[in-house]
Amino acid sequence: MARIVFTSGFARRYTQGVREFEVEAKNLRGVLKAMDEMFPGLGEHLEEETTVAINGELHETGYFQAVPPGAEVFFIPKIEGG
Amino acid sequence: MNDTAIVTDSVKRFKWVGTRPIRPDGVPKVTGRALYGADLKLPGMLFGKVLRSPHAHARIRSIDTSAAEALPGVKAVVTSRDFPEQKFDYIGPERVAVNFWHVTRNIMAREKVLYEGHAVAAVAATSASIAEEAARLIKVDYEVLPHVIDVDEAMAEEAPLLFEDMITRGVEPAPSKPSNISKRLEFAIGDVDAGFQQADVIIEKTFKTAAVHQAYIEPHACVAKYEADGQCEVWSSSQGHFAMRALTAQIIGARLGDLRVTPAEIGGGFGGKTVTYLEPVAATLSKKSGLPVRLQMSREDVFRASGPTSGASMWVKIGVKKDGTIVAADGVFKFQAGAFPGSPVMNGCLCAYAPYEIPNQRAVGYDVVSNRPKAAAYRAPGSPISAFAVESVLDMCAHEIGMDPLELRLKNACHIGTPTIAGPKHAHAGYAETVQALMNHPGYKVKLGPNQGRGVASGYWFNGGGESSATLQLNADGTVLIATGSPDIGGSRASMAIMAAETLGIDYNQVRAIVADTASVGYTHVTGGSRVTFATGMAVVNATKSAIKELCARAALIWGVEADAVVWEDGFAKPASSNVGDFKPLSLKELAAKAAATGGPITTSAGVNAGGQAPGFSTQFCDVEVDPETGKVTILRFVAAQDVGRAIHPSYVEGQIQGGVVQGIGWALNEEYIYNSKGQLDNPGFLDYRCPVASDLPMIEPILVEVPNPAHPYGAKGVGEVNICPPMAAIANAIAAATGLRMTELPMSPPKVLAALSQG
Repeated sequence: MARIVFTSGFARRYTQGVREFEVEAKNLRGVLKAMDEMFPGLGEHLEEETTVAINGELHETGYFQAVPPGAEVFFIPKIEGG
Repeated sequence: MNDTAIVTDSVKRFKWVGTRPIRPDGVPKVTGRALYGADLKLPGMLFGKVLRSPHAHARIRSIDTSAAEALPGVKAVVTSRDFPEQKFDYIGPERVAVNFWHVTRNIMAREKVLYEGHAVAAVAATSASIAEEAARLIKVDYEVLPHVIDVDEAMAEEAPLLFEDMITRGVEPAPSKPSNISKRLEFAIGDVDAGFQQADVIIEKTFKTAAVHQAYIEPHACVAKYEADGQCEVWSSSQGHFAMRALTAQIIGARLGDLRVTPAEIGGGFGGKTVTYLEPVAATLSKKSGLPVRLQMSREDVFRASGPTSGASMWVKIGVKKDGTIVAADGVFKFQAGAFPGSPVMNGCLCAYAPYEIPNQRAVGYDVVSNRPKAAAYRAPGSPISAFAVESVLDMCAHEIGMDPLELRLKNACHIGTPTIAGPKHAHAGYAETVQALMNHPGYKVKLGPNQGRGVASGYWFNGGGESSATLQLNADGTVLIATGSPDIGGSRASMAIMAAETLGIDYNQVRAIVADTASVGYTHVTGGSRVTFATGMAVVNATKSAIKELCARAALIWGVEADAVVWEDGFAKPASSNVGDFKPLSLKELAAKAAATGGPITTSAGVNAGGQAPGFSTQFCDVEVDPETGKVTILRFVAAQDVGRAIHPSYVEGQIQGGVVQGIGWALNEEYIYNSKGQLDNPGFLDYRCPVASDLPMIEPILVEVPNPAHPYGAKGVGEVNICPPMAAIANAIAAATGLRMTELPMSPPKVLAALSQG
């Protein structure tokens, strides 16, 4: 089981203000699929608009990223540098 | 320069990683033979010229191009009518929030011009002088409108509106009236109000920073050649030719597969060449004329029409206990976006307090449009701006409680597991080590003289990962070619060759790294965000490992053994054990010579979407002297400690640190856009826009703190950006120490310092 967390702004826009969810998934594909089932269309928003921190480690929101048991999966806005 | 690295991990020795071989692009650059964007000449090539608005804000009633089109030698004229309309939609990364409805209007104005220098039309002609004359013949009928430059004035209710229908995003319920505020953001953890109740000392202050330009030496330039079959080739100087391909394709309505973009050598970018201004215009002029077209900006064009970073207006409040514990931090960060939404205010909010463990924090950001060129990325975009305010207030807190400013920072240093304002916990260390490096520096204890002061400050930057590709080719003589899609703005060709040589176990001089065009290597994201050594380096190492696997298979074929009975060590294929047989190890050169007989050319590729990047931390101190008669601030000493993971090529890393600090010194002391009452820029050149030069500066002393990132095969972290975050506050803090005066507005130029001194 992984703990999924959104920023308050993202939650306001897409998850009726709910910021935290518990999801059974082995990788990000599973997380996206589970969230999309709860909120149709959310998976695409997450893919396009977010970076993900899995236990604090930043990754692109790619299907292949492993989600260890008990992980905190935090979706934050994408960041671009200079 | 001597090796200054402080190795903080268990020492791991490499043959090439950490050495300083001669840079592969050095000779062409110092002999003037390197080819930049404006150097390409094609047969039949036309010269382009962009007509730009003289007004800061005006409605375009009409554009008459007939006289220009009739001028002999003119082959094409374009206006916004030649570019397809784009859908109004914010897509892509939140900071950039690319809205192509805006992008196409920035490239070529439609209904209105929104800043002086805004492109309104372009011509292509057989000579530069004809193109200039033709541009002058274009008649634009403007209805001049009131304009607004300053961010606070742009937020005022009575401010002239750039977009009459802009409703602030991020506010609920949505405002009923339009404004120049494109977006409001808020990030928070803990309970800020309760946190301040625990504080013994609370300090709050307002700050302003000026918009500053990236000030790359090479102006934007490109050549486009559009063929009758719809295929288009572009040569341009940018930080990402794949990004230029994508942006150009979208703006002109072409398919990615029909565009091929070749990177020119690049004369600096610092973030400002991650966006497009000229490529879609040159491609459209070429399409209309049927001939290749070159477009280039003048230095004035660069200042008037290409993105600076945002100026800002900020308020920061921090509460500390007497023992130095920071209990709460609050801030409002209002960033200029320029004429179109998309300032780096989100980064400013996210980075503001990131080096510290503060249980209660809040950052509110506003993205505000005004009649200035659209802001573009600049080295750790957003972070230096908020750092100026936060690090200044922290210094005031340290002074108020009588604590050394480095002690205060060390006491509150973030560590693995510290929550960040966006929510995720820090996963990497490195900050405290930069503070300790300065505490151990002998210069930090040197006593200063009259009118002299010492200031410290820190900074944070995320660093990037993401998509990169690399290809390896083994030549018949055993030399190796590494091709990547990352334009080299900071020494990446040397770093890529070093990592390939290290992985292969061969001499660095056997490896040549190049930057390949969009048709010759896989997709690679921009050279930005301090991502290339990390992400593209991973692609290079992966491609090299694939080559090693293939080389072992070729050796196994020669020896008649199984592939897994062969290992690769120090540049040779060797039997994995004596049980395999008694074979003389085969060198890379020997295997290369047998390539045809063993299966054909050896070439491998790798693509990655790299994650697990570690952030960058920097802490710096500087000594300054303030001339009480003129207000001039002289930098006496500047020491910059940065966590670099592991320096692949230390000279380049030191250069990055020195470059970032120097740009920060310019931002702190001199650089600003000066607008007249009509909203026109009065200092669009290096004579009046004052960048630091060598005679202004002491040697910047870099300290490489090495806390390797385990996610990278050689421990690399991004090193290009965080170094620009601390200088502004470090200098302001040093001026405060020297004079007792708190400077809160950048630049801290002689007139401002003198005025502050005279006011006491």
